Amino acid sequence: MPATITERVRVIAADLFHLAPERITEQSSPELIEAWDSVQHLNLILALESEFKLQFEPEEIDLMKTIGDVSALVTAKVGHRR
Amino acid sequence: MIRFVPFTADWIEATRAFNCRVAATGFEFPLQPAEGSYLAVDGDTVRGAYMLRRQGFHFHGDEAGVAHFRLPLSEGAVNRAYRSVGVQLLRHAMRQYPMLYALGMGGMSNPLPRLLAAAGWRLAEVPFFFKVVRPFRFLRGMDYLRQKRPRRLAMDLAAFSGVGRAGVRLIQPAVRGALGVECIEQFGAWADELWRSCRGSYACIAERDTKTLNKQYAETKYLRLKVANLGWTVALDTQMRGDANFGDLRVAAIADTLAAPGAAGDVIRAATAYLERRAVDLIVSNQMHVAWREALRGAGFRPGPSNFVFAASKPLASRFNDSGQAHINRGDGDGPIHL
Repeated sequence: MPATITERVRVIAADLFHLAPERITEQSSPELIEAWDSVQHLNLILALESEFKLQFEPEEIDLMKTIGDVSALVTAKVGHRR
Repeated sequence: MIRFVPFTADWIEATRAFNCRVAATGFEFPLQPAEGSYLAVDGDTVRGAYMLRRQGFHFHGDEAGVAHFRLPLSEGAVNRAYRSVGVQLLRHAMRQYPMLYALGMGGMSNPLPRLLAAAGWRLAEVPFFFKVVRPFRFLRGMDYLRQKRPRRLAMDLAAFSGVGRAGVRLIQPAVRGALGVECIEQFGAWADELWRSCRGSYACIAERDTKTLNKQYAETKYLRLKVANLGWTVALDTQMRGDANFGDLRVAAIADTLAAPGAAGDVIRAATAYLERRAVDLIVSNQMHVAWREALRGAGFRPGPSNFVFAASKPLASRFNDSGQAHINRGDGDGPIHL
């Protein structure tokens, strides 16, 4: 069974922040993950754009407050593309 | 939610408040609204700002529009809640001008170069060169090198014993037999001819025609030096006062240059000889192109650590393969503002 978008986002984030995937939850945020600084935020965006073949607008980046927000945004953009 | 607006007079007070909140960064955004200035705002509050300045660049003679990504400031630098603003500024700028560059930035390890590197920009330090003209004053006054007591003592010993002078004269001899220079008030038609004749020799070079030069170097502090019909340099001769690096030294900077790469040696030797005659303590220059670096070495300059970084976005970097063939120096970007 293919991984869901949320699962794929969690794996990408875990890899980027050097954490086990189970430690990445929908509530995970920069306040809870020390390594999530502005450079890693950009790396997360680039990794998501590469994985899901999409591009975020500057204004959308502001919506990515938590991993749950990120997943919701990716889901919406992928759904919109379909 | 963050949105982007052009910086207009309506936003001056909000920008002033933003500057206060990011004061710890040591930077502030200019409060004069100007074309190409953008704000990242959240409601009525400014959370980030940057400027774009369009410039004509030539790539082996082919012209293309490039923009200088200037003074990006994000509240994320002082408040993690706004960590995404820096990325948004960069994305917004890229959307307007894919061919972007940034310059200076204080060294590779600072936040902005790290962010640009993560975004896939090509970064290179613009090599720094220096030449000591008055060894005694350099050894006694170069505060950057005198921070630790043992070195300070060694430099004092070298200064008072004469060893320092002998050593400097050995490795950085004064230029002899250089061409003469003409100190000019303005650039004339000859500068346009020079620009047209040599721009195709460089893989990447910003516009240096007469109009651009006379605008950029209008102030009297600039020494505009014409070297025969071969080329020109723009230099500065600055008496420092309590500078963190240069103390009270009199420092000259060969800030900007133009000649065909094959004439770089003659132009640098002529400018160096002229500045040596002015009895400055030290001459410095940042030059990216290999011909200008070799010219500086040939005139007795030695390399030093550089904190002057040139960063090119992916679309810009794709226009030239080798940074060493790009003509980048302190004349680019905002121009020679510090020396």
